[in-house]
Amino acid sequence: MTKPAPVYVLGGAQTDFARNWSKEGKHFVAAMREATLGALEATRIEPREVETAHVGNFAAELYARQGHIGAFFLEIDPAFSGLPTSRHEAACASGSIALIAASADIEAARYDLACVVGVEQMKTVNSTVGGDILGTAAWYEREAKGIEFPFPKLFGRLGDEYDKRYGLKDEHLAHISAVNYSNAKRNPNAQTRNWFMSESHAQHESKFNQLIGGRIKVSDCSQVTDGSVALFLASEKFAGAWAKRNGKTLADIPRILGWGHHTAPLEFDTKVAESRDNAYVLPHTRQAILDAFKRAGIASVAELSGIETHDCFTTSEYMAIDHFGITRPGESWKAIEEGVIELGGKLPINPSGGLIGAGHPVGATGVRQMLDCYRQITDSAGDYQVEGAKKFAMLNLGGSATTSCAFIVGK
Amino acid sequence: MANNNKVVIIGANGTMGAGAGCVLAGGGYSVTLLARTCEKAALGFADAQNDARAEAIAERLSVGAYDSDLGRTVGDAAIVFESLAEDLPLKRQFFELIDNSRRPDTIVASGSSGLSIAEMARGRSDSFRRNFLGVHLFNPPQVIVGTEVIPGPDTDPAVVKGVVAMLTKRLGRKVIVSKDMPAFVGNRVGFKVLNETAQLAAEHGVAFIDYLIGPHTGRAMAPLATIDLVGWDVHKAIVNNVHDNCEDEAHESFAMPAYMNAALHKGCLGDKTPERGGFYRRAGKQVFVLDPKTGRHENYQKPAPIEFVEKMKQLHRVGRYGEALKILAEAGGADADLCRRVVLGYVSYALNRVGEVAASSDDVDTIMSYGFNWAPPTAIVDLLGAKNTVAMLQKLKLTVPAVVERAAASGARMFSGGILEYGRTFVG
Repeated sequence: MTKPAPVYVLGGAQTDFARNWSKEGKHFVAAMREATLGALEATRIEPREVETAHVGNFAAELYARQGHIGAFFLEIDPAFSGLPTSRHEAACASGSIALIAASADIEAARYDLACVVGVEQMKTVNSTVGGDILGTAAWYEREAKGIEFPFPKLFGRLGDEYDKRYGLKDEHLAHISAVNYSNAKRNPNAQTRNWFMSESHAQHESKFNQLIGGRIKVSDCSQVTDGSVALFLASEKFAGAWAKRNGKTLADIPRILGWGHHTAPLEFDTKVAESRDNAYVLPHTRQAILDAFKRAGIASVAELSGIETHDCFTTSEYMAIDHFGITRPGESWKAIEEGVIELGGKLPINPSGGLIGAGHPVGATGVRQMLDCYRQITDSAGDYQVEGAKKFAMLNLGGSATTSCAFIVGK
Repeated sequence: MANNNKVVIIGANGTMGAGAGCVLAGGGYSVTLLARTCEKAALGFADAQNDARAEAIAERLSVGAYDSDLGRTVGDAAIVFESLAEDLPLKRQFFELIDNSRRPDTIVASGSSGLSIAEMARGRSDSFRRNFLGVHLFNPPQVIVGTEVIPGPDTDPAVVKGVVAMLTKRLGRKVIVSKDMPAFVGNRVGFKVLNETAQLAAEHGVAFIDYLIGPHTGRAMAPLATIDLVGWDVHKAIVNNVHDNCEDEAHESFAMPAYMNAALHKGCLGDKTPERGGFYRRAGKQVFVLDPKTGRHENYQKPAPIEFVEKMKQLHRVGRYGEALKILAEAGGADADLCRRVVLGYVSYALNRVGEVAASSDDVDTIMSYGFNWAPPTAIVDLLGAKNTVAMLQKLKLTVPAVVERAAASGARMFSGGILEYGRTFVG
């Protein structure tokens, strides 16, 4: 791999993921507008400086009967009229694909400043219809059609596969949930920051914590979320000038040090069959992480200060622990028991609260993870700051880990 | 006491008591819910479980009755939270009991929404008065995070500081410190506007006022529907308290409308009396609306659309809040005049409380935004422009608050946040 031009992350903003934009009587463009105007203000970037925009969105066609989402970027500011914009979709990894496309623009020196926006408005429909829409992130006809809440069931099967190969205790999954909820209480934009959660609530099936797909209980799931996130990626030229005018040097500005992007077969059964003889249950996800490490010049996970991972369900975070190499394959439970993943632990996972705690507006999640990595590296994560964070990783998954995108952010 | 995690709630069978129990247990406290009988306290226990949507909250909750358990549990508690009815003699009677049982460093907080903290503490021991303060939560407390802390005349500043830190960090509340004046900051400002709309409904009708001063003017819910939700008895208690005990530029806005007193007399308390209703009454899918002139509920008819209101709603829908307020500023006609009078009246009255009951405009913004889910008044000033706001206030013969005058002179922005903080308060 030849070394491409560096891509700098200049920061951004997100909407409060606790908001219900349908209740506010709003179209998703309002969320895009607030996030982007907030990002411009946070970074002191002028609208006229933006050269291109990449929008990550999963299913506005189904949630809001609206396509052509990239064009909505122009509704944010008159200075954006005429800008080249596009929309990117890879289910829950849509935000990451937008990040990769914007990075490619910068690496290829096509543009010096790109805005990346992730957006999803999901509360336009009830939970059953929403569950069916999410089913289109799987192979709908084969894995989702006519099935109530197909995704908890698919990720329940990920847990079952771990159980079969290595053994899995649900108490470890419950602990993942409790840690994410606890971290979310420190995040002023987290969806669940004022929700009640305790280890014991997450452990037990009850009236308020029912099983909804195999071994997956409500507390194991990320929740239906509305939200938008916007951030800026820049070339060395723009980042240098931007740093100077903000009283900083280029060395102060975080970069995307490495990335990885792999796609696995859509169907969960095919994935599992393919990995039958592999120590890793999801080898393509593992490879995306290794690619990001390699591009970033990182030898192992030990060089990271923390991780923002894709915990759409507790089982996906359980998987991320061994796939990042924190433990040997099948031994994620050890890191959980030893407190490694907790804030203050050796390698905190999801200090933001992750998808379970912070929320999961599908198309915005990858961009939110990148913004949180930026916040950690610039010591601006407030109450969920990992002290002295130098390098942060993110893993964003689409479908049943069909699309895997990993990034390493650092200076 | 540093490691004492025990809280006692007095009046735990009420909505606010149970809600406070849910919030405090959620923050990791071990909470005893007290009521007249254990059976009544058990109702609060069930409510707290429902509020938390978690049966497991039970691990942090216990119940008891005043007669058998108050002395013992208060004697062991770090914090006692009083959530009784808004009845000063009743509260004082309980504070005496608490004073007799508490440890010297037990903090005692009243959840009153506007009664005098000084009066409640009068006659109590020195150590009680040093550790006593108001903690005003808004309903429902597990959802609405705005919170007022009200020190009494003898409250130890260190206690205030500690309680504010606990509420903010441990319980995730948005906290302001208010002066001990009737209705404090939130209800003083909020109920001025609510009662003013109730007064206007006498002439213009309920449905029309709720449409004209609806969510597009920067509020989660239309004002008269809000009074129904709060309860007419609570509304009356709050506006009467301010009317009787405050002389300010909006004194007459706190006069309870005669038609409301008459309906109250017949038992119309709003949503809590569904069979009698309040401004609205629902029977199945049918909605009836009160005619203030006759006192009868008639079939609800949607008011005819008003052009500037519809334009504002469309602009809020796509996140163009500043342009929506420009429409409000420039619209012609009597309806627009009326709408401006209420919205600018809110800005004027709210920001004129700075230096009186509120310490800063940031505090007014915080409590109106997180206690009422209303647009922060300074955000409205910024969106209209401070100079333009001054001109509009003068035209309406409303007091121009000193803080707005200063902003108009300096050109400085007033609201401390940005669109991400105020956007949610404008509803399309």
